[in-house]
Amino acid sequence: MDAPVFIISIVAILAALVGLPWIVFHYVTQWKKNASLTVEDENLLDELHALARRLEDRMGTIERIVAADNPGFRPGLRQERDQDFELTRPDEREMQTSRPRRRDQ
Amino acid sequence: MTPRRTRFYLDKQNAKFLGVCSGIADYTGIDALLVRVGFVLLNFATGFFGGFGIIAYFVVAWIADSKPRELDYEDREDRRFWQKVRARPGTSIRDVRASFRDIDRRLADVETHFTSQNRRLADEIEALR
Repeated sequence: MDAPVFIISIVAILAALVGLPWIVFHYVTQWKKNASLTVEDENLLDELHALARRLEDRMGTIERIVAADNPGFRPGLRQERDQDFELTRPDEREMQTSRPRRRDQ
Repeated sequence: MTPRRTRFYLDKQNAKFLGVCSGIADYTGIDALLVRVGFVLLNFATGFFGGFGIIAYFVVAWIADSKPRELDYEDREDRRFWQKVRARPGTSIRDVRASFRDIDRRLADVETHFTSQNRRLADEIEALR
């Protein structure tokens, strides 16, 4: 057997027996570290997420009611900003985002 | 075994064959078509590798449970949220906190509006006396 072939086969066997498991276990441990949510944590997160969404809905309703009663009130427009598509013209959006913190002057 | 949001399930509702690829798509948030094409291409690229990919498909289909009904998502936003939880739990927890803070800020805005308006009203009444 030639020396180069021998060296190449040694490298290939080492890569297959050491390198491959190494990579696999590296990613397995990373994945384990990531997926560290317990059942309770998960239920809690589920509940909090649902609560946040409900509160956000209610907040939107309140803001709409207040805005309807008081023309001077400009509600925070996070939902609109977070949407992927734009419903307003760019100049309109700029006015909304650069609104003053206090609206009473 | 209690159903969990962070476990891999077969997605029988959107399944083409046994629901493994659609399950991967549902778990990761990658488009189902991409997952299927990627799976087939990988099989071709490796020359089927002794049928390893296909055997793996059936093994996964045999081992994994199909998705329980109670884990169905309410809407697309819910699905996106849980896909993010599976990828990076810490980030999604911070996201939930951020949305609570946002609600707090908006509530404070409404409160400021009402209290400052009443303050002005009180000043007007005071001036009329």
